[in-house]
Amino acid sequence: MDVLTGLMQGFSIALEPMNLLWCFIGVFFGTVVGVLPGLGPSATVALLLPLTLQMNPTAGIIMMSGIYYGAKYGGSTTSILLNVPGESASVVTCLDGFAMARNGRAGPALGIAAISSFIAGTVGVVLLMLVAPPIAEFALRFGPPEYFALMALGLSMVVLLAGKSMIKALLSMFLGLWCATIGIDLFTDGTRFTFGQIELMDGVNFVVVAIGTFAIGEVLTNLGVQSSGQNFTVPKGLRNLLPNWQDLKDCRFAFLNGSLVGFFVGVLPGAGSTIASFVSYGIEKAVSRHPERFGTGAVEGVAAPEAANNSETGGALVPLLTLGIPGSGTTAILLAALILWGLKPGPLLIQDNPQMFWGLVASMYIGNVILLILNLPLVPLFAQILRLPGYVLYPGILGVSIIGVYSVDQTLLDVWLMVGFGVLGYLMRRLDYPAAPLILGLVLGDLMENAVRQSLMMSNGDIAILYSRPLAATMLLFAAAILVGPLFRQVNSWRLKAAEQEA
Amino acid sequence: MGGWKSLDKSELAGALLLMAFGAFVTVEAWNWPYLTKDGPGPGFFPLWIGIAMAGLSGALVVLQLADIKRGRPVHRTSWKGAGPVLAGCLALIVAVALLKPAGFLASYVLLTIFLVRAVFRQSWTAALTVSLASAAGFWILFVKLLRVQLPVGPWGF
Repeated sequence: MDVLTGLMQGFSIALEPMNLLWCFIGVFFGTVVGVLPGLGPSATVALLLPLTLQMNPTAGIIMMSGIYYGAKYGGSTTSILLNVPGESASVVTCLDGFAMARNGRAGPALGIAAISSFIAGTVGVVLLMLVAPPIAEFALRFGPPEYFALMALGLSMVVLLAGKSMIKALLSMFLGLWCATIGIDLFTDGTRFTFGQIELMDGVNFVVVAIGTFAIGEVLTNLGVQSSGQNFTVPKGLRNLLPNWQDLKDCRFAFLNGSLVGFFVGVLPGAGSTIASFVSYGIEKAVSRHPERFGTGAVEGVAAPEAANNSETGGALVPLLTLGIPGSGTTAILLAALILWGLKPGPLLIQDNPQMFWGLVASMYIGNVILLILNLPLVPLFAQILRLPGYVLYPGILGVSIIGVYSVDQTLLDVWLMVGFGVLGYLMRRLDYPAAPLILGLVLGDLMENAVRQSLMMSNGDIAILYSRPLAATMLLFAAAILVGPLFRQVNSWRLKAAEQEA
Repeated sequence: MGGWKSLDKSELAGALLLMAFGAFVTVEAWNWPYLTKDGPGPGFFPLWIGIAMAGLSGALVVLQLADIKRGRPVHRTSWKGAGPVLAGCLALIVAVALLKPAGFLASYVLLTIFLVRAVFRQSWTAALTVSLASAAGFWILFVKLLRVQLPVGPWGF
């Protein structure tokens, strides 16, 4: 069956009234639950999975993919409005999204998030449809050294997340890397930095650190400011609450960058949307004519990571549907769902169940359209949240944060850790340490350590394995160039200043 | 030595704290095997993290001293508005301590009343309205609709 015939058949299935309804319900519930902090896409999909088990497999996977999309988009809403990242991939959105909200541009930020989700989601589906099998085979060539190089590339993005001081950004990143070592060492079964707490054996959950440093840190910072009367501004009029033509023009490259990076990183099992969002943000800042605007409310700083986050959905489905390999927590749940529906994920899935595959692809197109139709009209409504006075807004954020963190594992230690990281987040703001590198280190640290140790086990301790394979060497070269670039610029500026003084 | 005196005290304290923390991580990691027969051991990664943190903190102080010496602008920490922040922080700590004995809703209501009254200096009516309305909203949304399990007090909510 060729692509066009398959797609036509898929649309005839997805456009059936009942399947259309399931897609709408999936997107709607996914968005609503995904908005809540602590409930990222995997938790949302797991929570809503039982709703689909009584359906036929095609209708079930159509609804599940709607939930997946909706949950991904939902996470960006609280990041932009409240600086509360619901999942790790939304952390980067906080940087410029919340800055836009502070500048009175919450509406355009939410609108751009919806539009970039739509565009990238569509690009992701097109790529899933066209290049799924060869890409999946390529992804399988990624061994531990390539993963190490990919993580090094991800960590090199710290350069682009640094504010005025690179050393402070690096310190923040190393703190995150240290947090990633907390818990049981999977290679030896020994515990590290658990301080006798059984709850810490599984490590520190990302949600705890992100909500602490971003949301609680922000609330504490604002308690000092709010008492002196400052507040958010939300402009009146629908035109001011949606992105304008200039915003869309500014985001042209970001849409493309995020879509491609998101898809290709998404294909790699274990890499996930977090690294995709950080890398796309880094690329966007690196190629921007005004990199200094990033972090202060640059609309491209919202578009790129949001696009990457959504395009990753299409990428993550590639190894799942073509090889039966789940690349993330969410796709692992989807794999379980496929098996429960009696399907056998693997190389023969598309051949044996063309109706399901093409129905899914077509429903993802439709899901993207529904996501946009559903969310754009809600943007002005969501933006009104910022009109709430500080004495309503900030206790509310504290309540949502406590619930979000507690709901992850139902342990009070997580809430205490959240408070601790909140105080840390406040101190970091005062001392001008960026918080995003801490999250970057935490998310990538574990993966990086595993990749290094597996690589060195493979080579009996020969470190050359980390840089001798072509793919790994290329990525490491990129990482080195990103890290060394600012140093060269600094040296060059010193040289120019010295030359000016001499003249 | 004049450079030391002109360093921002908070910056210096932050860097020294991080340096001490880096040293702690290094010492802890030193107690774990650096290499095993299968490759790097559990001490491998943390050891380098600790060394990097201690080294970078030292470099931060040195570079700031160099900046001061060259007359370049350096970050000056502002603690303006720290009073309400400290009050809010302590209130949050008390509220979290009360989660187990009193449950989420009661501790959240008390936290909100304190913040609205003491930090934002609003009326009792505002404090009671905001705390009770938001607590009711959380209960309906999370407990009733989404069935999220929250700490429960002796009164059953």
